[in-house]
Amino acid sequence: MELNPLKMSKGIRVALMGNEAIARGALEAGVALAVGYPGTPSSEVIETLQRYGSEIYAEWAVNEKVALEIGIGASIGGARSLVTMKGPGLNIASDPLLSAAYSGVDGGLLILVADDPGPITTQTEQDSRWYGPLAKLPIISPSNSQEAKDFTVKGIELSERLQLPIILRTTTRVNHSIGEVILGDRKIPKRYQKFEKNPERFVRAGMSWNFERHKWLDSRLKETEKISEDLFLNSLEGDGRKCIVTEGIGYQYVKESVSMENRDIRIIKLGLVFPPPLNFLARSLEGCNEVLVVEELDPFLELTIRSYAKELNLLNVKIKGKIDGFLPLEGELSPEIVRSFIFGKKEEDVMKTELHVPSRPPPLCPGCPHRNSYLAILTGISKAGFKRKDVPIFGDIGCYALSVYPPLSAIWTEHSMGASISMAIGMKLSGFDKPVIATIGDSTFFHTGIPPLIEAVNKRVDMLVVILDNSVIAMTGHQATPSWSETETGRKTKEIKIEDVVRGIGVDELRIIDPYNLDEMASAVAELLKKKGVNVLIARAPCAIYEQRRKGRPGYYTVKEDLCTGCLACIRATGCPALYVTENGKVRIIEDDCYGCGLCAKYCPTDAIVRGD
Amino acid sequence: MGNRINILISSVGGQGGLSLSRMIAVASGISGYSVATGETLGMAQRFGSVKSFVRIGLGEKVYSPVFSLREADYLLCLELIECTRNLGYLRENGRTIASLEVKPPISMSLEASKSKPNYSQYIETLKSFASNEIIFIDPDEVRRAAGTIKAVNAAILGAFVSISNLFEDKVILESMREVLGSEKAIESSRKAYELGKSLAKNKQSLA
Repeated sequence: MELNPLKMSKGIRVALMGNEAIARGALEAGVALAVGYPGTPSSEVIETLQRYGSEIYAEWAVNEKVALEIGIGASIGGARSLVTMKGPGLNIASDPLLSAAYSGVDGGLLILVADDPGPITTQTEQDSRWYGPLAKLPIISPSNSQEAKDFTVKGIELSERLQLPIILRTTTRVNHSIGEVILGDRKIPKRYQKFEKNPERFVRAGMSWNFERHKWLDSRLKETEKISEDLFLNSLEGDGRKCIVTEGIGYQYVKESVSMENRDIRIIKLGLVFPPPLNFLARSLEGCNEVLVVEELDPFLELTIRSYAKELNLLNVKIKGKIDGFLPLEGELSPEIVRSFIFGKKEEDVMKTELHVPSRPPPLCPGCPHRNSYLAILTGISKAGFKRKDVPIFGDIGCYALSVYPPLSAIWTEHSMGASISMAIGMKLSGFDKPVIATIGDSTFFHTGIPPLIEAVNKRVDMLVVILDNSVIAMTGHQATPSWSETETGRKTKEIKIEDVVRGIGVDELRIIDPYNLDEMASAVAELLKKKGVNVLIARAPCAIYEQRRKGRPGYYTVKEDLCTGCLACIRATGCPALYVTENGKVRIIEDDCYGCGLCAKYCPTDAIVRGD
Repeated sequence: MGNRINILISSVGGQGGLSLSRMIAVASGISGYSVATGETLGMAQRFGSVKSFVRIGLGEKVYSPVFSLREADYLLCLELIECTRNLGYLRENGRTIASLEVKPPISMSLEASKSKPNYSQYIETLKSFASNEIIFIDPDEVRRAAGTIKAVNAAILGAFVSISNLFEDKVILESMREVLGSEKAIESSRKAYELGKSLAKNKQSLA
């Protein structure tokens, strides 16, 4: 018996992760299309919806820009849609975002953008609330699982009332926290209604039309607070003269602190963070003699309140937040930070242990084909007669970025999706005279790796591109790529072959190789590195974790203790987390974790590592 | 210990720490408690440090999904080095349940040519730090009882339920069904759960 929160009926109280709650909210909002690109902490929304069955379209798109444009296309025909992505994904989708604000929507369009203060799993600590003023679109911000669900429903409603796309902005602690949710009624998905030709609205080639649409957008945006009033996005608690303005997870930290202290404090919580609900703020801030602003990352609300200080009657009131340095601009807030901010308490001394605890960055998994690929690349560089320090390996976004850690210490850069190839182009064009290697995963290649490969071929830039093809989006939890012939929901698709794309672009040489054949791949790297032109090596082997889950592991290895000399050659070559050193200085394999790839055995000079099955 | 209970679950990615936090969250929901969890998941967290916060409110609401150092009433550890890393979260008089499994990180193995590792020091550190007696779970015993080390989280859950008295067995079973899904996993987890309960009981009767 699996309890599926998507199929439970109204009124039931259930513990849901924020992203599961958003998925449930999509059903309660009558969403017909849910599209996105995986990215932590946003991925579980579509994954959860995919468990619901075929009633709504819930699929991954090739990238966030395409996903958003699919959502826009559906919404201008009157259908309701949800588009999901992590913060940096909205940067990629920002082009359609700004145009969508001018054309507006008919069916509700909600864009989930999940930011990651900390950061816990993201390249930057971007604060996507700035997309509100940039795109001139409303932003709503839930603070727990219940609101994650409710704001999804309200966001779709607000979108239709305003005829504008709405941004549902979350942070990791909302997306990935579990909390109680009382479920509402599901609605029948609202699919295509009608689409009438209206170039003034939908064609951005007419400059006078664009000017008029800009005026229209400003007038709609101005109506946001009034139109959203009966959705109760904002709330006011308490009536003290010490006032706190907060939103998102910051609100939960404030509540936690205030509920422990029993003091008279006024909490003004914004669910609508852009445009600022000025009438609500003016009402709520009346009589305050101090205003504390609690928010993560940038002083977004604080700047708003400071800039409207006159309108909010706060000219003689102290406003405290990040600008004067009371709260940090970087990293997550915590209940402790918020507590000392509000009550001025000192943090307690923490007992420390004397023992040094070694750090544990996530390594490449046991049996991971990327480990073999990078070993082959590093060996190939030497084989071709170059020094490793002379040949930069440009990396990209995916599990394989973990090759940066010792012992591989392979990639030199990891920047933004698809940047491995383009940055390698720049290095070469600027006069770098040694070979360059770009390494990029299969899904990242589909996502934004194709245009830079076209650029490299077209501009005749010599480089070796290694496409690390494990045929799945592994890092975010094994989602479908365009190379699948069937998606998670059982939808039959036409599979796109990377080799066809690469050949179509006209690269000079293409080879497909199994990275588990390490020597063969190293030779290929050495050969292609010395050749002129754009040469592509597809290193193809399935993700070991994914394969193991579907088919079981091929076997496992074990160490013959009497033969092990403790030279650690196996560990120094592979860095495989299934290997460790025992207290007697010999190597042991955690057999439960071993995948059975046998790479470590290859490096053992005394043949102490043997198959265990 | 108040009406809000803070639990920190410390594990290595892939061990089942997240399932454990989920089982406790679901069981809390069924029992009518207020619950919030905060965790880091997604990305390639396999074999990395994983820390899950679980907060339970008995008759009052919990708001924040995370808590600060020195605030954990219970520290539940699936691995010894990670347990030591998170000792700072344990409050005075908090309780610790720890599997004796050690999974040294690569950085440590790479250093091992300089000096041989000493893993028993982690047990000693835990013992000297915790003011209450620690319940240790032997992974080999879990393997014998449940047939798989994957059920170690259920053994820890058994010991936790035994000392906290927060949940009825049937509630735990229901949450196992929801979180684990497969019959095979539920069966091995039930066995490990019973093992954990009896380990904790023996410990208490000895004390």
